[in-house]
Amino acid sequence: MIAALWHNLDYAASVILFCIGLYAVITKENLIKKFMGLNIMETAVFAFIVAIGVVDGGEAPIMGPGVEPPFINPLPQALILTGIVVALSTTALALSLIIRIWRQCGTIEADELREVE
Amino acid sequence: MTPWPPLLALLIVVPLTGAVITPVVGRTRAVRSANWSLGVMLATSVIALVLVVQVARVGPFSYVVGGWVAPYGIELRFDEFGAVIAVICLLGTLAIVFSRRYAARAMAEQRIPYYYALLLLNLTGMIGFAVTGDLFNLFVFMEILSLSGYALVAVSGEKIAEMAAFKYLIMGAISSLVILLAIGILYALTGSLNMADVTERLGGAPAAPLAVAFGALTLGFMVKAAAFPLHIWLPDAHAIAPSPVSAILSGLVVKVGIIGMLRVYQIAYGSGAVDMTALNTVLMWLGALSIVMGAFFAVFQDDIKMMLAYSTISNIGYIIMGLGLASSYGMIGASVHVFNHAIIKATLFLGAGALIFQTGKRTLTDLAGVGHAMPWTVAAISVGAISIVGIPPTAGFVCKWYIALGAVQAGHPFFAFALVFGALFIFIYYIRMVNAFYFRQPRDPAILEVTEAPASMLVPVLILASLCLIMGVMGSVPLSFIEPAVQRLLLPLGGG
Repeated sequence: MIAALWHNLDYAASVILFCIGLYAVITKENLIKKFMGLNIMETAVFAFIVAIGVVDGGEAPIMGPGVEPPFINPLPQALILTGIVVALSTTALALSLIIRIWRQCGTIEADELREVE
Repeated sequence: MTPWPPLLALLIVVPLTGAVITPVVGRTRAVRSANWSLGVMLATSVIALVLVVQVARVGPFSYVVGGWVAPYGIELRFDEFGAVIAVICLLGTLAIVFSRRYAARAMAEQRIPYYYALLLLNLTGMIGFAVTGDLFNLFVFMEILSLSGYALVAVSGEKIAEMAAFKYLIMGAISSLVILLAIGILYALTGSLNMADVTERLGGAPAAPLAVAFGALTLGFMVKAAAFPLHIWLPDAHAIAPSPVSAILSGLVVKVGIIGMLRVYQIAYGSGAVDMTALNTVLMWLGALSIVMGAFFAVFQDDIKMMLAYSTISNIGYIIMGLGLASSYGMIGASVHVFNHAIIKATLFLGAGALIFQTGKRTLTDLAGVGHAMPWTVAAISVGAISIVGIPPTAGFVCKWYIALGAVQAGHPFFAFALVFGALFIFIYYIRMVNAFYFRQPRDPAILEVTEAPASMLVPVLILASLCLIMGVMGSVPLSFIEPAVQRLLLPLGGG
């Protein structure tokens, strides 16, 4: 069990990170902290998918003389590049929503906002 | 070789390019952006019609993007379930027509082009989601439509609009992440992202990661579809968004979760590697709960759009239950209800939007007696209400009847009972609404002075209301259209 966990340390780490993020999203009252939790979850999923492509002792798959396999799978990295763009736009939108909430209600604490509603 | 022109690629390229150009077109005069986006949606609708006719004639077909043959490149795949693009284009066009007067009143002029751009992006995302054959591409289109959806909710300028949009964003982003995680696991197991290829390679994969992947996909798509305990983001977002946007969100965007589930089923049943029995049981119960609880909450709403939003939850419940039954009747009923509910709910939301636009009031108490002042709009809403309750000969009846048959066919008559029980609840609150509009004493006599909605609002509502009737009278057409796809889907289970 411990050995298996150690061998898959990267996967275990992303699961732990995911749970930390989810905890922050659920428990934090400050909207920016809530959203930071979401960013942690995003990072966890991205790290997990990049880790899928890693091969022990692998190199970047750039072809040329004197390059030997094994190679690292570049596809997950390309996917996550797209994923990061998506995460960036989500962050931009969320922060601008938070700014407008603050201007309208004068607070960004979820419990105080419930009273305003 | 794919025939020229590559319609399937144009189906996405036309609205996407159109959306990006919209702010430029409307830079000097905002009304140009309205005309432009209407033109873009009409062009897309023509393409969609040609494709739907083609799939009815020859069955599913695909398009290879950029010459990269599947499984290496992205494949666009069009099947009978993808025919939902026809409804997307129809509702998109009508919502854009409806928005013309709404946007002129509710928004600052320099922001109107961005509103249309977001609307087009949202529709593009849904079209792409329905036709892609690649798992990661599915995620990207899902994010396009979700992000534009969050922004569109915040557009309305109501006091709690931003808060509703933020709540929607948090739930939406979490569900997207869960889905991405599942896609990552599927990639790790099969080394492929093409859905057909994943289906082939999934056999012999270890059970535990498979269970996690399919569980995560179901969870994510159920949040998107707003099944009962995961629905908390929906009522505020749908009630507060601008009415044309509510019609799109409630009619189409929640269906993304359903179409996603259909794709999950295609992979799971096609590969035969996943035992869906446990998940199906969960879905049946989720569906039954959503029907009853959605209807229960709707009964206590006084705000008309809030009531319609809760009614969406119970109707999604019907669809989810139909899927979970995994019998051919249930599946056909559920797939057709995706189309019919979109049309019915758009009728109701656009009709309610016209009422709110003309009267400035949004609760049933304040709107009492409005039926005498705006006869056409209220007549259309009444047709929508009759359809959603499922009284023959309207569009809602056919699907609910099929789902009930499916429950009996699958050996779960209890769920047919839940369905009828839910329909009774729904009947109560729609009767309450129609009663208030026609027969209750107006609280404020000024409401009788209100004039009928302008043509750009009335015409879309009337078109949709007549479609509610047409889809009911000609109910067998969509049923026989979707049947081959469902038979293909259930074939590995022994034909259902």
